[in-house]
Amino acid sequence: MTAIIEVEGLSKSYGGKRGIIDVSFKVEEGQLFGFLGPNGAGKTTTIRTLMALLHADSGQARIAGMDCWDRSVEIKRLVGYLPGELSLDPGLTGAQILEYFGHLRGGVDQAYLKQLVERFDLDTSRKFRQYSSGNKRKVGLIQAFMHQPRLLVLDEPTNGLDPLNQQEFARLVGEARDEGRTVFLSSHILTEVEQICTRVAIIREGRLVREGGLAELKDIKRHEVAITFADSPPADSFLHLEGVERVEGMPDGHTLRLTVQGGLDAVVKAAAMHPVVSLTSHEPSLDEVFLTYYENGGKGPVEVEQRV
Amino acid sequence: MFSSIYLKSLRDARLAILGWGLGMGLLMLTVLAVYPSLVTTPQAKASLVNLAGSFAWLAAPVRVDTAGGYATFKYGVTILLIAVWPILAGARMFRREEDRGSMDALLSLPRTRVRVGLEKLAAMWSALLGMGLLIAILTFAGGAAVNGGISAGQAVVFAFNIVLVCFLVGAIAMLISQFTETSGTAAGSTAAVMLVFVVLDMVHRIIPNTDWVSSLSPIYYYNLNKPLIPGQSVDAGALALLFGLSVVLSAAAIWLFTRRDIGAAVRAPAFLHLPQRPAAKPSRKTHWGAWSLRSVYTRSLATLASPTLWWTLAIAGFGGWMVIVVVQTEANLRALLNGSPTMQAFLRAGGSDASTNASILSALFLFLPVMLMAFAVTQANRWSADEEDGRLELVLSTPQPRLNVLLGRFAALATSTVLIAVVTLAVTAVTAAATGLKLDQGNLAAATLSMIPLGLLVAAIGYLLSGWLSAAIDTGLLSFLLVIWFFIRYIGPDLHLPEATQRLSAFYYYGTPLLHGLPTFDTFVVVAVGAAALALASARFVRKDIGR
Repeated sequence: MTAIIEVEGLSKSYGGKRGIIDVSFKVEEGQLFGFLGPNGAGKTTTIRTLMALLHADSGQARIAGMDCWDRSVEIKRLVGYLPGELSLDPGLTGAQILEYFGHLRGGVDQAYLKQLVERFDLDTSRKFRQYSSGNKRKVGLIQAFMHQPRLLVLDEPTNGLDPLNQQEFARLVGEARDEGRTVFLSSHILTEVEQICTRVAIIREGRLVREGGLAELKDIKRHEVAITFADSPPADSFLHLEGVERVEGMPDGHTLRLTVQGGLDAVVKAAAMHPVVSLTSHEPSLDEVFLTYYENGGKGPVEVEQRV
Repeated sequence: MFSSIYLKSLRDARLAILGWGLGMGLLMLTVLAVYPSLVTTPQAKASLVNLAGSFAWLAAPVRVDTAGGYATFKYGVTILLIAVWPILAGARMFRREEDRGSMDALLSLPRTRVRVGLEKLAAMWSALLGMGLLIAILTFAGGAAVNGGISAGQAVVFAFNIVLVCFLVGAIAMLISQFTETSGTAAGSTAAVMLVFVVLDMVHRIIPNTDWVSSLSPIYYYNLNKPLIPGQSVDAGALALLFGLSVVLSAAAIWLFTRRDIGAAVRAPAFLHLPQRPAAKPSRKTHWGAWSLRSVYTRSLATLASPTLWWTLAIAGFGGWMVIVVVQTEANLRALLNGSPTMQAFLRAGGSDASTNASILSALFLFLPVMLMAFAVTQANRWSADEEDGRLELVLSTPQPRLNVLLGRFAALATSTVLIAVVTLAVTAVTAAATGLKLDQGNLAAATLSMIPLGLLVAAIGYLLSGWLSAAIDTGLLSFLLVIWFFIRYIGPDLHLPEATQRLSAFYYYGTPLLHGLPTFDTFVVVAVGAAALALASARFVRKDIGR
């Protein structure tokens, strides 16, 4: 496989403020590449530099072997782009926006465009200002996909989409992969990247901290589990289980809150030894994950801790 | 400055307070600076009084042979200009935040809508008072400079009267904005209402015994107070009426704001509702075949259609109107101009040959390029704001070179500018022919069409400044530049400014085309400077980071 995106030592600052620092990665043609990072990590700066909306201070960014800044027009023929914040003429209808961008792209397959509109169930007769944030996102997604580009660069594409449309988006990405096209998407939601992508890079405070296959996510993935017991909670039973990083007793005297890395099998089995009233589990945001995972100077997970 | 809605809103208006206050104040300073040169002899004074009488329909000529009287007369015609800021501020007070979606966040705070409305209103009134203070200071300074006998108290009352009428204009805009979905529609509608009020106010000065008609216009009450004129007492009733109306209309606007949906207009009463139509089915249509969606140029042209229409009506209408005015006053003017060397000097800005119709028209035509350049300022602001608000981001993600995007936008603006100038030429030519006013057609074409390079020069400078500056600062600087240019051109000769300084004003290069034809070299200079500015703006735009 050949690399469609090559980024080498890319840095960008805004005056004295940090943007990205010495970022390097490659995306092979046909890959579904997830670009993960908490808010303000530098995902959008990287993407806007790839799209030649920002000029890098140093380093190189190439798409299909072409320099992103010097040959931006040729590159944009290959790319479908969805910005993180969509701002379009509020007086145009969805249909007019799609037609306008279709013309600017030199024409699109109308049958495919119609199909996209139907799949996202978009009412194209409404003005952009009248759309909800989810519908605005749909307009952005349709315009990114409508010319069937070789590379899709999508900045937090599912923001504001309801679960049904998120599934539709995932199907579209799957079809793009099947057709050999490349998808580069940013997200701060671990599960989304896990479900859609085949390769990930993680950026934090402007620096790339990891790049690799999906396995890279496994050791940073966390679950916050709250178990309420009928009797006083058996904290010691959980303390040394595989993957348990933190055990915390709640003030009600019946509930334990656990931070668990990886699968929950051991925790559930241990809990089943005692009368359980309720059990809830949620995935913390990437910000929270990074806070716990990298609070040790970015060198790995903190040690198991008990606060009962 | 971020501790309350009031302070935040006031902070947002800081540039406007400085720019508009100084601009309006400098205008008064200009008017007063010209006054001494007009009254050098008793004959000149008499001529001035007679000439002002010919323009009584425009503003009441009361004791125009005094500095205060002359300033009041000249400043009286600028009410629409003064009203621009309160119109925009009132129309945007709620609607702009609703358009951006930030009103939702604001109203999620533990504050009532009434309080939000009152804080924003207080900020607008404070801003207007700040502008009034600057106008008062510059009026007093202008009066003192020409020994015009204008006291500080007179200057303060004069500025306060302006502030009160601006309160009222802002209140009208606020109220109208409750019934529209966008701030632009509210501002346009308020401007139209103001135009009607100005015309209503004119009626009693043209047709005797029609004061009752004019009294329907708030401008009538604004004009009742002429504090700069010696011996004129302050009409406290008129001041109170302006203030009272402002309070009532502002209160009505805030009351409606507290009862309507955010983002929607006030619903008409039930008895005015049209019969319910079945809800339209969602459309999946993706192709309209509209000409305006084919390129950046055509899209920009379509966006410009509405402002171009209004500005064409204003500029061409002003041109045609001035032709009619000259015809009506022709006989009177001829007698005055021939008998008064000073009046010939008065028309110096328009040209030195006072023996023709074209002379007075030439002086009045100086306002045409000013208006066209003001149009260019608004469109330069739009370009800058589009980039700032992220509306260029997706366009620039298509295979359109940045240069094409900038030039497409500029070409659309150029097309509008040419259209406005050509329509102005047609309207003035037809009006002149219809009224029997003899004008050199070639010179008339030069006078109207040579506005085009000036408009494009301003736009190019605006595009260039937007390469570094925010939309607000870009527009403020550009507007200030326009005022300074006008100041240099209008009173530069009276202040004996060196030729080199006068050449810094773009209006210098406009010359007196109605009298002397197209100043080819000067026009070439404007075109060259404009092209250089556009080239630099393009060079900057293709290299810069696209901002948000």
